[in-house]
Amino acid sequence: MTDFSLKIVTPDGICYDGTAQQLTVRSTTGDIGILAGHINCVAPLGMGRATIIIDGQKCYAACIGGMLSVVDGKVTLVPTTFEWADQIDVPRAERSYQRAQDILKNKDSTNTDIKLAEARLRRALVRKSVASSK
Amino acid sequence: MAGVSTKEIKNRIRSMESTKQITKAMEMVAASKLRHAQARVTNSRPYFEILYSTITDIVDSNLDFSSPYLMERDVKKSMYIVIAGDRGLAGGYNSNILKKVWSELEGKNAVVLPIGKKAVDFFRSRKMELLTENYAEAAAISIGDCFTIAKQLSKAYCKGEFDEIIIGYTNFVSVLSQTPATLRLLPLLQSAGEKKPSDIVYEPNCAEVFETIVPEYLGGILYGALCESRAAEQAARRTAMDSATQNAEEMIADLSLKFNQARQAAITQEITEIVAGS
Repeated sequence: MTDFSLKIVTPDGICYDGTAQQLTVRSTTGDIGILAGHINCVAPLGMGRATIIIDGQKCYAACIGGMLSVVDGKVTLVPTTFEWADQIDVPRAERSYQRAQDILKNKDSTNTDIKLAEARLRRALVRKSVASSK
Repeated sequence: MAGVSTKEIKNRIRSMESTKQITKAMEMVAASKLRHAQARVTNSRPYFEILYSTITDIVDSNLDFSSPYLMERDVKKSMYIVIAGDRGLAGGYNSNILKKVWSELEGKNAVVLPIGKKAVDFFRSRKMELLTENYAEAAAISIGDCFTIAKQLSKAYCKGEFDEIIIGYTNFVSVLSQTPATLRLLPLLQSAGEKKPSDIVYEPNCAEVFETIVPEYLGGILYGALCESRAAEQAARRTAMDSATQNAEEMIADLSLKFNQARQAAITQEITEIVAGS
């Protein structure tokens, strides 16, 4: 497969800068697959697993928020958080999952609490599923 | 008489020395914090550059939709986000940014979101309308908080609770120079001149991408401004403490000279007395 240049940039710094053969990310409307020679495009990202094929090797990562842009064959991923599967802090995700569940079960939680807990729950689920898929 | 004055001078030298030790320690702490803050600023810059260039690309090439984020409204109420420090002893850092924002606020109907203890205290004592006082500790704000604030603000902006959003922060130009600045975040500026349609495909469509990316963009800018301000604060504190240490050294040198003179005077006087007595 042909290589294309891929750059992954988060607010914490550059996560990856090199070439890849295939990229699959979850956008707000569903998964998007990118191969070399993709048309110029911009899409906002949702929460989900990103699959990247580097040198024929499949790598997984939890990729949350931000956007994807392809300009002149250069692919740039600008997520809010991006964690490779082997770097995910599973106990932390587990704790976050439990805390969110507690808030959701509690009948006294306010609306904003519930919204925050839902978002936290989804992030924790994404992290857990990505960590287990390596 | 001379004896009393040498003792007094000695006490002053001792107290200056302990002051010097404190300022020296504070300088070193600030220098080490500055290194971290500086690294964070350089790490996060590419993110904002890409975010910013994508936003301007969309704004410049969009021909067929209007978004509340783009429309200029009559400004009835302004929203000011002000980032200052949590603690003093940082030279002019806090007063520079607060003074700048205060002069801009004059005659405006504004609501303030202060970040950092000094900013909260400043606007509270001046009886400004505050959005929230939850962010009184600038050092504890995470990137997640920035995105929460950004989402809240963009929602309120779309509802029309305020008609412009301005952020006041301190630019970290270099270790020796920090400049306070204000920046208008919303509505977004459209560059003048011909619009040219671009060949970029927006998934699912231009308007939706825009609606999703603007809050992200705000959060990103907010985090960037926070990083800049934190680095600027540490740099300002380092410089201030460095000059305080130097001043203390100067004073100690001065006082030592006086002490030696006084001691010499006492000895001379004693000799004179002995000679005169014999």
